[in-house]
Amino acid sequence: MKRLAAIMAVASIATATACGTTGTTETARTGGGVFTTIDGSKQINASAPINPFNPVGSVFSGYNGMALAWPKNDPTDPNQFYPAIAGSWTTSSDRSQVDIHLRPDAKWSDGVPVTSEDVRVSIGLAYTQGGTAYALDPKAAGAAADIQVVDPTTVRITQGANRSSTFLANLLSTVVVPAHVFGKLLPADFWQLLKTAQHGQGAVAEKAKSAITGLAEKVIAFDPGHDVSAGPFVLERVNPGAALLTRNPYFYDRQKIAPDKVKILNYTGNEQIWNYLIAGRLDNAPFTSVPTAVMNRIREAPGSKVIKGYSPVAVSLAFNQAHKPYDNVHVRRALAYLIDRAQVTRIASPEGGTPAATTSGIHAQAARAWLGSGFDGLEQYRTNPAKADAELKAAGMTKRNGRWAMPDGSPWKVRIHVPASFSDWVAAGKSISSQLADHGVDASVVTAADYTLYLGELAEGKYDLGLWLIGLGPSPYNIFQRLFGQANGWQMFGGRLRHVAPGTEGNWMGGPEKVDAGAAGLVDPGELTGTLNYASHDEQKRIVGILAKVANEQLPVVQLWDYVNTQFVNTSRYTAFPPDDDQSLRLSSGVWMQLGMIKKAEKGRA
Amino acid sequence: MTVIVNPAGPPAAASPETTRATLRRNFWRGVWRVLRRKPSRMAGVVIVALFALMGVAGPLLYPAQLPRDDNALYAPPSLAHPFGTDFEGTDVLALVITGARYVLLTGLATAVITVALGTVIGLIAGFHRGRWDTVLMRLTDMNLAIPGLPLLLVLSTVWKFESPLEMGLVLGVLGWGGIARAVRSQTLSLRERGFIEAARGLGLPTRHIVGRELLPSMAPYIAMNMLIAVTGAVYAQVGLFFLGVLPFESNNWGVMLNLAVFNGGALTTPAALPYLMAPLIAILLLTLGIVLIVDAMDEIFNPRLREE
Repeated sequence: MKRLAAIMAVASIATATACGTTGTTETARTGGGVFTTIDGSKQINASAPINPFNPVGSVFSGYNGMALAWPKNDPTDPNQFYPAIAGSWTTSSDRSQVDIHLRPDAKWSDGVPVTSEDVRVSIGLAYTQGGTAYALDPKAAGAAADIQVVDPTTVRITQGANRSSTFLANLLSTVVVPAHVFGKLLPADFWQLLKTAQHGQGAVAEKAKSAITGLAEKVIAFDPGHDVSAGPFVLERVNPGAALLTRNPYFYDRQKIAPDKVKILNYTGNEQIWNYLIAGRLDNAPFTSVPTAVMNRIREAPGSKVIKGYSPVAVSLAFNQAHKPYDNVHVRRALAYLIDRAQVTRIASPEGGTPAATTSGIHAQAARAWLGSGFDGLEQYRTNPAKADAELKAAGMTKRNGRWAMPDGSPWKVRIHVPASFSDWVAAGKSISSQLADHGVDASVVTAADYTLYLGELAEGKYDLGLWLIGLGPSPYNIFQRLFGQANGWQMFGGRLRHVAPGTEGNWMGGPEKVDAGAAGLVDPGELTGTLNYASHDEQKRIVGILAKVANEQLPVVQLWDYVNTQFVNTSRYTAFPPDDDQSLRLSSGVWMQLGMIKKAEKGRA
Repeated sequence: MTVIVNPAGPPAAASPETTRATLRRNFWRGVWRVLRRKPSRMAGVVIVALFALMGVAGPLLYPAQLPRDDNALYAPPSLAHPFGTDFEGTDVLALVITGARYVLLTGLATAVITVALGTVIGLIAGFHRGRWDTVLMRLTDMNLAIPGLPLLLVLSTVWKFESPLEMGLVLGVLGWGGIARAVRSQTLSLRERGFIEAARGLGLPTRHIVGRELLPSMAPYIAMNMLIAVTGAVYAQVGLFFLGVLPFESNNWGVMLNLAVFNGGALTTPAALPYLMAPLIAILLLTLGIVLIVDAMDEIFNPRLREE
């Protein structure tokens, strides 16, 4: 589903390397025409303001929306970025301080230069929204403690006491807005307020925090009226069907940008995107769930091409271990042995996924990079009904009249929950329930009306089993916090990690606080996951090895399939798209243009 | 002169039971005549009977777990699979047949509740008039003002409608307003007629007047509404399942439509088209059958439409 793709895009911090085969020095041909695409992260809202802080705002990443830098699709290093407004950056040896050097030739679309003050204002506005590096709580891991303008093109940002290995990545992902447009949203005493909120004590600090978070709504609702962009394009107009953007004459790398205009079409569901692609209307569409028959039709469109690459996301069947019989590891293992992951993938996501090679909590590509030969040592859980029977018997389950029952003789009803709007997940749930029913397990699928409701009910512990996204790399902390984070009872509070009881404060996975990790002894998986935030690379590797083994043996989830980033392009009007497995694949085609890709096709040549 | 003597003696006065049996016999003969007059009406009866049979015996024809062919996902129609297979390689015709029970049970439950509530409320309001009428009609207005589908969408977030009777109950409780209004109007009209006046003059009890005099006159109208309520319930539940807000049952016609469109791309490519068409044809046929029977009922109960 497109909605799923959007969640994946937002949730994971991943990306890609070198810009492939295209020469960046080639000057784009003039009269570049209109490049047509869609925005995979949101649908168009004609009444939304031109404001990147508004979730549905008419700002499109890579076109008229710019970050300091663009993340690469590296499977293991979250700090790999392409330069954007920040031409370069330097980090102190202890990673506590980052100097960001802006491009001297970067300008806004009204001709005003992009300066350190723009970055400072953007960071101030980010604090009103909270999260990542800009948390008001100075004890939060990876929070920025000090922002200093060194000169008009250099900003120095210092990390607080709780270091995070993703600090640089979080800084570079900062969206930059013009200070001369958005600056008025910050009160004159904002930076003093921020100091008080971060370093003050008691009521004064609380008051300052409230004052800053109180600005959030005002910032989200702000409508500048017209677009002032530092990107390659500027919003010309938007209507419910499409947004039209025109070339920004002041963009620092304007010679690389081939199209004169970009049209971003709206969509209401996957089917609309399929039809656009079959009609050859889109020059590029990001990941969209597509059935095989539709994919074949898309491939038939003149100029149509599919690019595939790494996507650090996997789908799993997650257990609520606070509910019987899923508190018993033998039951979880039995289900893993009964599910044919290849068949599930073929039915649910034939074009956008590969069956999970094993269940480790990590996408296979990243897992091999982190674990090396250790990956092959993990239990693969190939379909094996005999082993499943043995595991169920070990759990005390009994088989009567061909049906498995709970140890106390009551019926065992496996209810697999999925959000109704994710058609691939619905199909996966049905395939799993059919396979389990074949082996005497009374299984069925239950749908939730929408994803928000689904997540809410999941967090409330209403489900025994539900489908759950995991492996959101490349940061190993991001990967494992899906298994051993808030949903499983470990919460970071005031800079300190604590474990809450199953069924409380969003702990719906209900796993034990400490588990036996074989040679590593009794470990606290949540604590180890937290350590991934600041550990050295070698230490991260050691911890990832332990956590992957714990995930493999304890099975908080059964990993079903690893997503494949499937991009659609049409070479009839434009060529030089990134190749398969390119590290820029998870970025928008606006960023591809910035990186020197996408050239006007010669007449008569597709 | 020949005198013909009836050896059995003079005819005895017919007993009420005999009279009723004769009336019943004559009624069914009339029904048969009306049905025979147009082949389409017979077709309607056959179609509805077929669906009723599917609802009753359909699930018994197949194993509880329908067979799947892993090598034939979205297989095209063939002799083995007249409507092809679904995303799991399950025969689509088997899904339609086994799925009929939920759909029909919901339709039946909805129709019974709609008609029972609508008739009772309409009759009481129309017959008693005055305060009863005011209160019941305000209730009816409120019922009519309830936006059915949005309410069901909201309800589905807290109620999973796992049983067709639960679904029928909700649809029935939401849908009686129109019938209540119509029955009230009919009652208001009938209560001023001579035969009701006569019954009142004879001092017959209200129960008798309503049950024996008023209700039979409205029976045709009520029966037709009941059948139409079935089609309404089928549309409503299939629509909800199509939107994906109700529990997933792969053989539910609405779920089949949903998966054909959103998972199979049936509106984009022909591969999943048979999977889409099969439940659509089933719904179409069921509606057609009901409409044809309603056409026959109209003539059965309305003497002015009879040709003889």
